[in-house]
Formats: sequence, C-alpha cells, structure tokens
Amino acid sequence: MTLILLLLILLAAMLYLGVPVAISLFLSAGAILLALDIPLVVAAQRMSAGVNVFTLMAIPLFILAGELMTQAGIARRLVNLSESTLGSAPGGLGQVTILSSMLFGAVSGSALASASAMGSAIGPEMRKRGFDADYTVNVSTTASITGLLIPPSHNMIIYATAAGTGISIGDLFLGGVVPGILTGLALMVVAGIVAIKRGYPRGSFPGVRPLLRAAVTAMPGILTAVIILVGILAGIFTPTESAAIACAYTLVIGIVVYRDLDLAGLRAAFVNSARTTIMVMFIIATASLFGWVLAVLQAPTQLAELLAPAMASPLLTLILIAAMLLVLGTFMDMAPLILITTPIFLPIAMEVGMDPVQFGVMLMLALGIGLLTPPVGSVLFVGCAAQGIQIGQALKTIWPFYIALLVALLLVICVPGLSLWLPQIIG
Amino acid sequence: MLDRVSRIVSRVLLWASALSLALMVGILTWQVFSRYVLDSSPAWAEQSALVLMIWMTFLGTASGIAEGFHIRIVEGVNSLAQPWRARAIGLANVLIIIAGILFLVLGAQLVGATWNNAVPTLPLTRGMVYLVIPASGALMALFALQKLLKGEEIAGSAGSA
Amino acid sequence: QGSRALLAADSQPENYPTVAALRFFASELARLTGGRLKVDVYPSEQLGSQNDTLELAQLGGIDLVRINSAPLNVLVPETLVPSLPFLFRSIAHMRSAMDGEPGRAILAALETHGLIGLAFYESGARSIYTVDRPVREPQDMAGLKIRVQTSDLFVSMIEAMGGNATPMAYGEVYQGMVQGVIDGAENNFPSYESSRHFEVAPVYSLTRHVMAPEIFAMSKRSWDKLSPDNREAVLQAARASVPVMREIWDERVIESRQIITAAGVQIIEDVDRAAFSERMQAVWSTYADTPALGRLVDDIRNMGETDA
Ligand code: NA
Ligand code: NA
Repeated sequence: MTLILLLLILLAAMLYLGVPVAISLFLSAGAILLALDIPLVVAAQRMSAGVNVFTLMAIPLFILAGELMTQAGIARRLVNLSESTLGSAPGGLGQVTILSSMLFGAVSGSALASASAMGSAIGPEMRKRGFDADYTVNVSTTASITGLLIPPSHNMIIYATAAGTGISIGDLFLGGVVPGILTGLALMVVAGIVAIKRGYPRGSFPGVRPLLRAAVTAMPGILTAVIILVGILAGIFTPTESAAIACAYTLVIGIVVYRDLDLAGLRAAFVNSARTTIMVMFIIATASLFGWVLAVLQAPTQLAELLAPAMASPLLTLILIAAMLLVLGTFMDMAPLILITTPIFLPIAMEVGMDPVQFGVMLMLALGIGLLTPPVGSVLFVGCAAQGIQIGQALKTIWPFYIALLVALLLVICVPGLSLWLPQIIG
Repeated sequence: MLDRVSRIVSRVLLWASALSLALMVGILTWQVFSRYVLDSSPAWAEQSALVLMIWMTFLGTASGIAEGFHIRIVEGVNSLAQPWRARAIGLANVLIIIAGILFLVLGAQLVGATWNNAVPTLPLTRGMVYLVIPASGALMALFALQKLLKGEEIAGSAGSA
Repeated sequence: QGSRALLAADSQPENYPTVAALRFFASELARLTGGRLKVDVYPSEQLGSQNDTLELAQLGGIDLVRINSAPLNVLVPETLVPSLPFLFRSIAHMRSAMDGEPGRAILAALETHGLIGLAFYESGARSIYTVDRPVREPQDMAGLKIRVQTSDLFVSMIEAMGGNATPMAYGEVYQGMVQGVIDGAENNFPSYESSRHFEVAPVYSLTRHVMAPEIFAMSKRSWDKLSPDNREAVLQAARASVPVMREIWDERVIESRQIITAAGVQIIEDVDRAAFSERMQAVWSTYADTPALGRLVDDIRNMGETDA
C-alpha cells in the first residue's frame, strides 16, 4: 500500500512539473522497480512488449483514416446531408452540428478530429445566422464525444488491449452503437431547448430532392463505417485490417471520387497522424510498464478491499467507479487513463456482475466527458480554438450539455441492455 | 547551427515515422487483397507491419521531445511565479534527460538480451528491432539537454482523442 | 535474498491445475524453509503474456514462471522435442519420458538461456475439433482450415496432417468458426470446454497429435541469489508439486469431457493415429535437425510407458 501511494505521488509530482505523461509514467514506475529490487531492464522489456501487439496496429491506422477523411472533404458533405435533414428543427444549425459530429465522429473514430472539423466546417455559417460562438462550441464539442461510442473507435481498441484477451472488438463496436445514438439524442434535446430560449432561427426543409442529392454525395463517406463494421462482423477482415482498408478506401474516395485530396493534404494527413500515433503509442508503451508495476503491487486487490463496503451494492460500486473516472478525466487524457484504469477497475466491475463490453462503453463515455472538462480537456480546447473564444466563455454555458452527457452515462450504467442488446442479437 | 541540426534531425525522424505509417497501410491492405484475390496470405506481412509500428513509435518519440508534441499537463507550471517557474521547467528537462539516458542504457541491455531471438517470418532478431529504443533514448536526452541549456520549456500538445 | 516475496507468474486463471500446482509449491516451499521463502502467485497473465513472462524471467524481473513449451521452442531447441507431433504414444509414455533421462536433459538445457528448469507440468493431449467434419484419417483433413497458434511447428504439423493451417489469435477463434473463416481448431479437452468452442465446433476427433508438456522454471538470476539450502528446498517443492498437478489435471479432463458430452459433442474415437504418425517423419527431421536432438527423439521413442 505504501509503495502504491509512493508511485501515485511521484506520478502526480512529475505531471505537475509538466513532464510529458509518458515519461512521468516511466520514471515513477522505474523508481518502484528500484524499491522492489527488480532489475531496471524490466522497464525496457515492458515498454517494448507493450507496443509489440498486433491488434494495436489498428490505432495508428484508424487515426490516419480520420485524418484522411478530414483532408478528403468527407466532413463537408456530412454537414450538407445533416443540414438537409435537420436544418428545420428547433435549434436548426445546432442540431445539424450534432448530427454531423455524430456522423463524422462515427466514421473517423476521433472526437478531436470531429470537434475541429465541425468547428471549422460549420462555425462560420452559424455565426452568420446569429448563433453565439459559445453555443457552437458547446454543441460541436459535446457531440464529438458520440464518435468514441459509435464504431469504429480506436479508443475501444486501446481498451480491448488493456483488458487482455477475451473481449471481441466486434462486440465492443456494436455495444457502442445504441448508447452513442442515445447520447446524441439527449444532446439534441438540450440543444433544442437552449436554442428556443435564445431565440435562434431555424432553417427551412429543402425538399426531398436536395435531401436525396445530399445523401448520395455523402454516401461514400458514410460507407466507411459500414465497410468497417460489416467487414469485421462478417469475418472478411480483422479489426486491424479493417483500419488499413478504411485508409485505402478513403484515399480512393478522396483522390478519385471527391477529388479534394491533393499532395499537400496527403502529406498533412500522414504527418499529423504520425504525431498523434507517436504520442498515443509512447504512452501505451510506458503505461504498460506502469500497469505491470501496479499488478506487482496488487493494486486491484487493494482497491477492491477499499471498495469492499460499497460492493454489496453493484450499482453503487459502478457509480463510484464512474465518479472516479470523471474526476481522473478532469486532469488526464483519455488514452493513458484507459490503459491505467482498465486493469484496476475492470476486475472489480466484473466482480459485481458488469459485462466487459458494457464496462468499455461506460469507460468511453466517462473518459469522453473528461475530454470536455478543464484543466485538461483537449476536445473542448480545440473547439474553443476553432471558434476563437476563451475556454471560460464556453464553460459558462456548457452545463446543460454536461447534464445530458451525465444522464446518458447513468443510463449506460443502470441499463446493461443498452450496450449488450446489439452484440447479443448480431455478434 | 546546433539548432538547425536538431531541427533537421527531428523533422527527418517525424517523416520516417510518417513513411512507416504509409508502409503499414500498404502492407496490411496488400495482405487482405492477396488473401481474397490471390488466395494466399503473405506470411511476412503481419510481423513486418508490427516492426514498422515499433520503429515508428520510438523514432518519433525523440522528435516529440524536440518538437514538443507529447501529452503533458501545463497548468501546474503555468500557475507558478518566477523564479519557481524556471526552476520547475529546468527540473522537468532534467527528468527527461534521465529518462533518455535510462532508455539508452536499459534499451541496450534489452537489445543484448534479445539479440538472438528470431522474429518469426522475418530475417531479423528482436534485438535488431529493439535497437531503436537506445537510439531514441540518446536523441531524447540530447534534445532535452539542448532545451535545458537554453532554459526552454518542453512544449505540450492538446491531446490524443 | 531480500525480504521481498518471489514473484511467480502463470498465464492460466485461478483454480487452473497449473496455478493450483504453483499455490501448492508456494505453501510447500514456505513449509520447507520455515517461512523464509515466500512466493506470491500471479495467475491470469497479470504479469504479462507467456512470451513476456519468459523474457522477464530471463532478465530477472520475475522469479518463477510456468509457461508452455511453445514460447521456449525458438530459444531452446531441446524443448521442441516433446512438442513434436505424434511422438508420444500415450499420456503415460509422455509422463515417463519427462520424469526420466530425456526430461532431465531438456530441463538442463534451459540454463544457458538464463533459466533453471524446475519441473514439467502438462496440458494433456491436443486433438482436432471442427464445425462439422470428423477427422479419422489424413484424407479427412483435406481443405480443412484449422486455427493454430503462431508457431512454425504447428503450421508444419497441420500441413503434414493434410489440412490448411491458419494462425489466429486465440480470442478470435470462436467468432472465426461461427463466420466460417476457419473450419476448426485444436486443443485439449479442458480448453475446448472452457473456451466454449464446443458450442460452435461440436465434432472432437481424438487425434491426440501433441502432448507437449508445460515447463516450470526459475530465473537464473534469482536462483543465483539463493543459498544452497534454499535451492534444494525450491527443487524439492517443485518436484512435490508435479504429482499434485497431474492429479488435478486428470480430474479436470474427466470433468470437461463430461460437460461436453452432456452438451452433445460428438467425440470421434476411431482415429487412425498410425496413418498420421507416418506422415510426420519430415516434420520431425525438420525440427529435430541436429544429431543430438535426433538422439533425444530416438531415446523417447524407445522408452516403454513405465520406464523412468
Ligand atoms: Na467512431
Ligand atoms: Na478533462
């Protein structure tokens, strides 16, 4: 117990100093190895073994697919489709933003890409029609979180890896569909109410023919998600291969069909995704060492003992876990948190009867909310940057959207069927 | 001069990473294609893509120190007043240098220990693949040392989601 | 040796026979040393996959490991011998070989690779199971896509048996059989049962092609830190854990067989093992490719089932 505390204090101190998360994980775990009289070379072994995992290859590939989609102009066409569908609803463009964020988050799997793509694709239009910037930020950032739930989602693959063997990525992907859509609907309700209160205009329905035209143009983009899901579920290719296929397919769409993808765009896509991949994979490597040290210290058992009084009530246990995830999510990023918390919380959640697929969905949503909360909230920051406003300005009015997300989280915890129904009937 | 050299090195590392990523896509797409169209899976595909991913990760890690795109928390340091702020930044750079040296030494030990372990389906050993770890450690330490000497902060990035 | 407990890693979950054997080893060792040597057992891959824990043990990061011989095959050629297909005639033959001179030679070979071989455990006999086709003779294997672990030996074996080997992650096998990506896989009764693979591949043909033992070893670095008395105690506790392991294993096989029989699995008994065995000469000579390994193969083949 003392060593666990020492480990966490060292980690917190280094994070506070602004040492990169990966290096903080590496050094704090290394100090514990010394204390345990375990040869330090173990640290190098754990890091290399942590990234020497075949299924992890899906992560860089899905990140690249998301970048390529941004460069290929898929986002813009999804916005057109959403506007033809929902432009006339209360909140007009707000609803459009949510639907397009859901669609783009769904196909790209990246909340960050979605928040920035939507911010720049739809923001200027909203400003022109009298929507406030804070509203635009609130809507586009919170809706981007649904992309973590709606497949594909490289964060779910990180979770499946952290959970060890036995969780089917196909089941996880299916498990996120209903909660993802539900979360989107909850956000739409809130966006509508806020829009009515603020007296925002609605658009008019463009008619069936333009709607169909928008749908046809957007279809190649939407098809990516379909290809990936169907491909994995039908056993045509593995999740990793599906990610490569998604990249190859987007390349073809971007170059041949949409013709929006030029050499500069291609280079940007590859370099951007290399950067993101490196930071994610570096954390995966060092978190693998950190997790190993936690395992040697038997941290899950220790935490289970702490939680024992609450564990008589499964619901209370799960809500406590979710609350801890939300707190951790305020100051840490998603990928490292998935890797650090899964081996600790998943065994406890399973002991009180939660299915690992449902846990994965809960984890995505809880940590997804963390992407929207300061001091470390990358999606919120990117959204604010895209609209050119201060974070404080967006925070003042974001709370109704937080409530919608928390309600969705509570539903995911209390109603296992939301996550498990689809995998059971299809998987 | 030194600045220019280190900027070029870190750029090259990043481009090498991006190229590895492109090769991974190519290899895995080829794997699916050849399985369905040519009715045979290339045995080397899986492992070579994996080796590329490991190289890409560790090569790029050093460039992430130079260009400052690793995930970190800046709020703590930003809330400090001078001279504590400068001291904290210096300490953080020292910690990165220590980490880099450890990568170098421990990575070299790991290379030694796995030098004869064959990578299945490829004419490589694990030790050869892991050479990238000490190399990355050395560069990390050098890049951080440069920042330490200049009193510079390691920049941080938005996040990974 | 400091005050820290020795770390013992196993990939199998709690209550699995090898883990039970490790727990027995731990209590026996504590008894023999009057509590001086304590062992913490980490089941369920808590400290890493088999390949990881093997490497960690070589580096001295884990003190004790229980792994199957596959990850050792690439390192220590001697461990390939008991993994050769159709080498053992029966479980009794395998046990007497591992308890006897061949077994001692294989354990001794681990030392140059940073490990001290303590004992052989086992995982019974592996057989082929399929979605619908019984496998009685090599012709039945034609066109069958059988999942194997990522191992050149298993690929050569399935090809030599007449089928198509498809390396695939264990976690994807169930789904793979449902979707027809593969037609079957191969494993022992307990794994076939606990993985629920029998639900989708209900034809189990007793090919018993591989009876590779499991290996229980200590990190040489940790071993070197022990006093001679403590080393003796470790060896003695390890030896004592073997009969315990076998008894639990045998019970487990019977239990699993009852479960899958009750579930309606068709067990094919009349497999022509001799016909398969004849096709293995090339596999044996490819993998046991030195005179020393060849002698080890011959020694094992010439053993009776009760010589030890
Ligand atoms: Na998604
Ligand atoms: Na946050």
